[in-house]
Amino acid sequence: MGKKKGFQLSESQLGYLMVLPALVLIAAVTLWPVAQSFWNSMFDYRLNDPTRNQTTLSYQIDLETYANNYFYIDRDLSSLEDEAEGTDLQPIVMQVRQDIDTYHEELTTLPEVQEQYEIVDEMVMNFEPVNDRDLRYSHLDNDFAEGYIDLLEDAQDTFTDSIAEIGDGDLESSLSQATATLASVDRSLIRPNFIGLTNYGKYLTDARMWSAMWNTVFFTVVSVFFELTIGLAVALVINRAFIGRGAVRAAVLIPWAIPTAVSAMMWNYLYDGQSGVVAHYFEQLGLISDASVLLSTGSGAMFSIILADVWKTMPYMALLLLAGLQTIPESLYEAAEVDGANKMQQFINVTLPMLKSAILVALLFRTLDAFRVFDLIYVLTGGGPANSTESISVYAYQVLFAQSNFGEGSVLSVIVFLAVALISIVFIKLIGSDLFDGKTGKN
Amino acid sequence: MRKRAGASFYIFLSLFIFVIMFPFLWVFLTSIKPTIEIFGGFNWFTSNPTFQSYENAINTRPLFLYMWNSIAISSLTTIIAISVASLAAYSVTRLPIKFKGTILGIVLAAAMFPQIAIISPIFNLIQGLGLRNSYMGLVIPYITISLPLAIWILATFFKKIPFELEESAKLDGATPFQTFRKIIFPLAAPGVFTTAILVFIAAWNEYLFALTINSDDNWRTVPVGLSMYQSQYTIPWGDITAATVIVTIPIVIIVLLFQRRIVAGLTSGSVKE
Amino acid sequence: MRIWKKVLSGAVALSMVGVIAACGDNDNANETPVNDDPANDTENNVDNADNDGADNANNENDGEAEASEDQEEVTLTYARGQDATGATNILVEAFMEENPHITVEFREMPSDTGQSHDQYVTEFSAGDSTIDVFDADVIWPAEFAQGGYVLELDRYIERDGIDMDDYFEGTVDSGNFEGRQWAMPKFTDAGLLFYRSDIVDEAPETWDDLIEMASEYQGEEGTDYGYLMQANQYEGLVVNAVEFIASYGGSVLDEDQNVTVNSPETIAAIEKMIEIVESDITPGNILNFDEPATHTAFLEGQSVFARNWPYMQAMTEDEDQSQVAGNVEFALLPAGDEGSAAGLGGWMSMINRNSEHPEEAWELLKFMTGPEGQKITAIEGGSAPTLRDLYEDEEVRDAAPLFADEEFVNTLENAVPRPVSPIYPQISDLMQIELSRALAGEITAEEAAENMESSIESALAE
Repeated sequence: MGKKKGFQLSESQLGYLMVLPALVLIAAVTLWPVAQSFWNSMFDYRLNDPTRNQTTLSYQIDLETYANNYFYIDRDLSSLEDEAEGTDLQPIVMQVRQDIDTYHEELTTLPEVQEQYEIVDEMVMNFEPVNDRDLRYSHLDNDFAEGYIDLLEDAQDTFTDSIAEIGDGDLESSLSQATATLASVDRSLIRPNFIGLTNYGKYLTDARMWSAMWNTVFFTVVSVFFELTIGLAVALVINRAFIGRGAVRAAVLIPWAIPTAVSAMMWNYLYDGQSGVVAHYFEQLGLISDASVLLSTGSGAMFSIILADVWKTMPYMALLLLAGLQTIPESLYEAAEVDGANKMQQFINVTLPMLKSAILVALLFRTLDAFRVFDLIYVLTGGGPANSTESISVYAYQVLFAQSNFGEGSVLSVIVFLAVALISIVFIKLIGSDLFDGKTGKN
Repeated sequence: MRKRAGASFYIFLSLFIFVIMFPFLWVFLTSIKPTIEIFGGFNWFTSNPTFQSYENAINTRPLFLYMWNSIAISSLTTIIAISVASLAAYSVTRLPIKFKGTILGIVLAAAMFPQIAIISPIFNLIQGLGLRNSYMGLVIPYITISLPLAIWILATFFKKIPFELEESAKLDGATPFQTFRKIIFPLAAPGVFTTAILVFIAAWNEYLFALTINSDDNWRTVPVGLSMYQSQYTIPWGDITAATVIVTIPIVIIVLLFQRRIVAGLTSGSVKE
Repeated sequence: MRIWKKVLSGAVALSMVGVIAACGDNDNANETPVNDDPANDTENNVDNADNDGADNANNENDGEAEASEDQEEVTLTYARGQDATGATNILVEAFMEENPHITVEFREMPSDTGQSHDQYVTEFSAGDSTIDVFDADVIWPAEFAQGGYVLELDRYIERDGIDMDDYFEGTVDSGNFEGRQWAMPKFTDAGLLFYRSDIVDEAPETWDDLIEMASEYQGEEGTDYGYLMQANQYEGLVVNAVEFIASYGGSVLDEDQNVTVNSPETIAAIEKMIEIVESDITPGNILNFDEPATHTAFLEGQSVFARNWPYMQAMTEDEDQSQVAGNVEFALLPAGDEGSAAGLGGWMSMINRNSEHPEEAWELLKFMTGPEGQKITAIEGGSAPTLRDLYEDEEVRDAAPLFADEEFVNTLENAVPRPVSPIYPQISDLMQIELSRALAGEITAEEAAENMESSIESALAE
C-alpha cells in the first residue's frame, strides 16, 4: 500500500491515515466500553435483579413477568373478595380489582404495547420463555406507569395493614397471597434507575474503598520503586559484553514469561506456612519470626505480594530500560572517558539523562499496570487476611462479578480511572516536551 | 561498559541469576519428584527422579494444543499490533500532524481503565461478532490492550532517530512511507523488537479475557489451560509444575532468537545526538 | 382451548420420549410412536434428513432407529467443573445410550467455584445459549433464579411426576426460590470431623472437648497441630462459621429474610471460633487454610483433628498420597449448646433459560438427578446422593464406606444450609470480611455480629 498513494497525499494527510487504524481499534474495543462504564456508573444497575438489569431513563414494562403474574391477580383478588365478604375490606378489594382492570385494559390497548403483549401472553401461556429483549420489554408513558404503580403500592400497603389487624385465618392467608401477587405485578413495572452521582457519594465515603485505595497505592509505590532500581541494575549488567550474555538475558526474562495466574499459584505454594520453601528459608535466615506469618498476617501478605510482583515484572522493566540503553551512542561515553569521568560520573551524567524518557515511559506503564493489579492478589490472597491486601481492582471485581452490581462496580472502575489519570498527568508533565514536540524538537 | 568482565562480576552474576531463577528452579525440581515427596520436607533433590508428572501433564490435558493456540494468538497479536502501532508512532513523532498530544493522551487513556471493568462489554462485542472460541476473538482485544504501550515505546524510539537521516532520504526523493520503511524502522529495530517481546508475552500471559471468551477446551490458551489442571479441592502440583516447565520452553527460545535484535539496532556511527 | 390442546399434545409427545427411554433395552416391537400432529411429523423428518449427526446415533442403535426417527436430533452442551473421577463421562454416556437422539457435549468450566460463577453470569447475562445444562453450587440457585438466567422446573417436575420428597429436604430447599423450584439436587456434601484413630479413641462431643483433647494429644505420633479448619478469607470460612453458629443455635437469616445474626448464640459461636483460631492447637497460619491446605497437612500426619468435606475420606485411604492410611476415622462435628451442625455443600443442576432445547435439557437434568444418574455419580465419582433411597442400594453402599454409615447419612440429611438469598454472594462477602477480622483479632465477636447485622441489613434494603 501507500507507495502510489503516498505521492498524492500530503505528509499530514498520510500522518492522519497512519494513526487511524490504531485509533479506530482503541475506540471500538476499549474506549467504547469505557464510555459505557461511565454511563452505567450513574445508574442503579444490577444484573441479577430483573427490575434493575438494564439502564433506563424512562418507565418500562417487563411483559413476560407481567403476563405471568397478571394471570393470578384476578384469581387471588376474587378469592380475597369472597373471604372478606361482610367486612370493611370487601369494598376496598372490589375497588382495587376494578382499578387494576381499568389499568390493564388501558395497558393492553396501548398501540405500542398491544401487539407485543398478545405475542408474549401466548408464549407465557405455552410456558415458553421470552428471550428476545425487544419483545419482552416495552416503554411506558410516565403518567400511566406512575398511576399504575401508585395503585399497586397503595393496595399492597392497605392489605399489609389489614394483615396486621386481622389475626391468623383464611382471610389472612388470602390477603398475604394477594399482596405477594400484587408485589410481583408491581415488580414487572420497571422504574427509571438513573441515580446520577449518588453511588459516587456512597463509595467516596466508603471506608472499604479507601482502605483498598491505600493498599493499592502502597503496593504500587513500593513495587514499582524496587522494580525500577533492580530493573535498571539488571539492564546495565546485561548490556555489558560478557560470555553467555544471550543465555542470561533469556534467563532473566523467565519470571515474566510465566503467566501471572500460574506464578501466583506457584508463589502460594512457595509461601505456604507448612511446606513452602521460600517461607521456610526466610524463617531460617531470620527474616521472619515464623514461616506461617507470610500469608496469614496483613503485613506479611502485603510483603509477599510485593515480592512476587517485583520478581515477576522486574524483567519487563529491565527489558524496556535495556532497549533505552541501546539508543545511547557509544561516542558519548568515549567523550566522557576522555574528560576523565569515572563510571559513576558517566552513569549520572550520561546514562541517566539519556535514559530519562525511557525510564519515564517504563515507569508510567508499570505504574498504570500496578495500580490496576488484579490477578496476582486475587489468586494469591483473595484480598485477605481481613481485607488487608484488597486492591481497588479486586474490590471492583467483587462488586461487578460476584455481586453482579454493574452500577456500583462501574463507579469503582471510574474511581480507578480517575486516580490513574491523575498519575499519568504527572508523568506526562515530566516526560513533557520530549515526546510531544513538533518536528523540530530534538533532545 | 566496554571492559571485559572480571571474575567477581561472574560470581555476582551467578548469585543474582540463582536468586532470580530460584522459584523456577524449585518448580523444575518439584516437577521431577514423585507425588508423595512434593509436600513435606525441603529436600532439593529427590532420590527417585521421575518423569511421571510430565507424562500426566501431557496426557490429562491437551497441553500442546494450548501451546499452539497461545503461540498462534500471541504471534498474530504481535504482528498486527506492531504494524498498527509503528504507523501511529511514526506519524505522531515525525509527521506534521495536529493534536499529537491529544492522540497520545487518548491512546494512554485506553490503558487506564481496569481491564476487569471492560470484560463484559468486550464479551458482548465478541459474541455479537460471532468470534467466541476463535483466534480472532482474543487477538482483537489483545491488540487494543497492547496498543498504548506499543505506541508510546515506539514513539520514544522514533523520537531518538535524528531528522538529518530522514531529510537526506527525502532529498533523494523517498516518500515518507519509504523513509519509514527503509530508514526509521531498521534504525529503531531494538525498540521494535523489545516492544514485540513485550506484546508477545503480554498476550501469552493474559488470563481473564482468555477464560471468558474462549471457553471451549479446543481454543484455550496456556494460562487458562494450566489453571484447568486443578479440580475443586485438589491441586496436582506435580502436573502443574511439569506443565509450567514445558510451556516456558517456547518463550525461552523466542527470547533467545530475538535478543540479538534487541541490542543490534542503532550503531553509534549513524546516530548523532 | 387452543392453548390446552397445544400443551396436551406436547405432553403426549414428550411422555413418549419417556416411554421410549424407559423401554430402551426391551424388545418393543409393538411400540410405534404415536404422533397425532402430522405437520410436526414431516417437519421432524426433514430435520432428520438434514442432520448429518443423525447417522451415528442411528447406526449405533438399530433397534431404536424407528423410535428415534420421530425425534429431532439435538446436541446439548453440559457445563461443569473438572471431574477428575471420570464419573461425568460415564453418566453422560449412559444418558446418550438411553436417548440416542440427544448428543451431549461437555464444556469444562474452571474448577474454582467463584470463577465458574462469574463465567456463568457473564455468559447468561449476555443471553448466550451455548450452555444448556450446568451444575451449580448450592448457593447459586436463588441468585440465578432472580437474575432470570435459569428455567423454572415446576411444570416439568409436575408433568413427570417427580416426588421432591424423595430428596433430602435441605438440598431441595436450596434450589427453591419464591416458592418455585429452579434447580435439582445432584449430589450433596456436609462437613465432617476427621480424627486420627491411632491417637484418640473417640471423637470429642463438644467444641470444648475438642479444644481440650486437641491440646492434650497434639504432638503425639508426630503431629504438630491439634485441629485444622478452613479460616482463609473465602467461601469456606462462611461454611465453617455457619456450622459454629448453628451448633450454638444461632442463624444468619430467618425464613422471611430478616437478619438474625446479631444474637447471643451467634456471638458465643464466633467467640468459640476465635478461641480455637487463637489457641495453640491450630497452626499459626490457620487464617490461610482452605480445603487443599487442610487435606495436605492432615494427610502428612500433621494434625490430630481436622474439619473437612467427605471427599477427604477416600484420600486418607490412598497410600500414594496419605501417610496416615488406616488411622483415620470420621465423626459428626463437635456440638455447641444446641448440638452438632454440619454445613451443607454439594451441587445442583440447572437449565439455561436461553437454551434452545429446553425439553431435551430437562431430560438430561432429570436423568442426572434421578436415581439412575445419582447412582452412577455415587459409585463412579464417590459423591453422596441426594435421594434418600439410594443409601439402601447395595451397590451404592459398597462404593464408599461413608454411604453405608447411618450417622453420615443423618448428617447429610440434616446439614445446615447457608443463607438462601438472591444476594447471597454479597452476604457471603460481608460475612467473610467481618469474620476474618474477628479471627485476626482486629474486632471482637460482638462487633463482628453487629457489623454483619448492619451491613447485611443495608445490603438487603437496597
